[in-house]
Amino acid sequence: MKRLLTTCVMSLLLTSGTQAAGFEARAATAAPGLKAQDLSGAPKTLADYRGKVVLLNFWASWCPPCLREMPSMEQLRVKMAGRPLTIVALDSAETPDEVNAYLSRMKLGFPILLDPDGSNTKRWNVFALPTTFLLDAEGRVRYVLTGPTEWDEGEALGVIESLLAELPAQANQVEYGRSTPR
Amino acid sequence: MRFFRFLLLSGWACAFAVRADLPDYQAFPATGQQLLLWVASERGRAEPEVRAAQQLAAQGVEVWSLDLVNAYFLPQLPGSMDAVPLQELADWLRASQASGKRVIVVAVARAAAPVLRAAALLEPAERQRLCVILMYPNLYTVAEPLAAPDYLDLGTLTGLSVRVLQPRRSAATPWLPGLLDHLALHGVLVSQGMLENLREGYWARETPTEFEIAESRRMDAMLLRELNAWGCK
Repeated sequence: MKRLLTTCVMSLLLTSGTQAAGFEARAATAAPGLKAQDLSGAPKTLADYRGKVVLLNFWASWCPPCLREMPSMEQLRVKMAGRPLTIVALDSAETPDEVNAYLSRMKLGFPILLDPDGSNTKRWNVFALPTTFLLDAEGRVRYVLTGPTEWDEGEALGVIESLLAELPAQANQVEYGRSTPR
Repeated sequence: MRFFRFLLLSGWACAFAVRADLPDYQAFPATGQQLLLWVASERGRAEPEVRAAQQLAAQGVEVWSLDLVNAYFLPQLPGSMDAVPLQELADWLRASQASGKRVIVVAVARAAAPVLRAAALLEPAERQRLCVILMYPNLYTVAEPLAAPDYLDLGTLTGLSVRVLQPRRSAATPWLPGLLDHLALHGVLVSQGMLENLREGYWARETPTEFEIAESRRMDAMLLRELNAWGCK
């Protein structure tokens, strides 16, 4: 009986701890280094995206929740075309062939970076996929999300808009440029 | 007559009390000299695990299959593994060794934590006779983005032989070296094997790949292959 009661109490405690945490705000800490390559082999760092809000998504092609949120990330890119937001999806610890096999089925217009040895995954202490970091225009981590979301609506869009709102009005003016997926 | 009934009831109660010291497990008897203790993950035992046990038994490897969440009425969550009575688990390990067979424990995911902690309760000589295979063990206390990982304290595991089997397609794969170091710090003689093209719990995925389906059907062969390669026969 005692064991049963303990179990019931534990169940309540444990299940309450599994509720979706949503976006976790961070105290504007400097982001870890990013040293990756794009699909053409060109080196990329966070400095390449300085001055813009950055959505940095860690994913893998074998991870169903990662793939489930990709279309909404692409829709976000289209919706935010011309605004100072960069979406970067960093594939964790897979080969270029594995990544390209997925991209041949799913057309995405934002940059895909490679982390074949998982060194960026470790530097950013990513333990679950997908994990997404939202960086402000100064390269500081402002929000973290573990797990998937619909990026072009609701809380996700609100958080991104709040970071964009911190930028001078001039930076938020729509620039018309590339918005077609590769 | 009443006294005789009392005696019978007392005998039954004593038998139950002794049995209650060990967790409920499913046995797949075999005549060979190996006894494999399969401890399912915090998600509970899946049908392919039962099939693998039957296949192993048919090849002479006896299997005792333990589903901790079912045995102790726990929720299917990693944290539940902290509630497993370690002394009962240690007694179960001792009971398996009393069979006189070579005992190999396979613990899946967070079930690695109570299994290792129970092994720490064994006498050093008992522990040295054990072989433990950990499938993608989760031994973290804290694993949060941007924070260094923190590991569970497992107790003294000097002399315990452990082989970690890690599916390549796992967020934990880049972290494997640190986990192996942590085990070695506890005195474990540790080695690793990589399961290529597989994900964690590949035998119970909602959307398995063709390869995962095929591999879940030959889990017995994979385990025997690993045991042979490892030298823990």
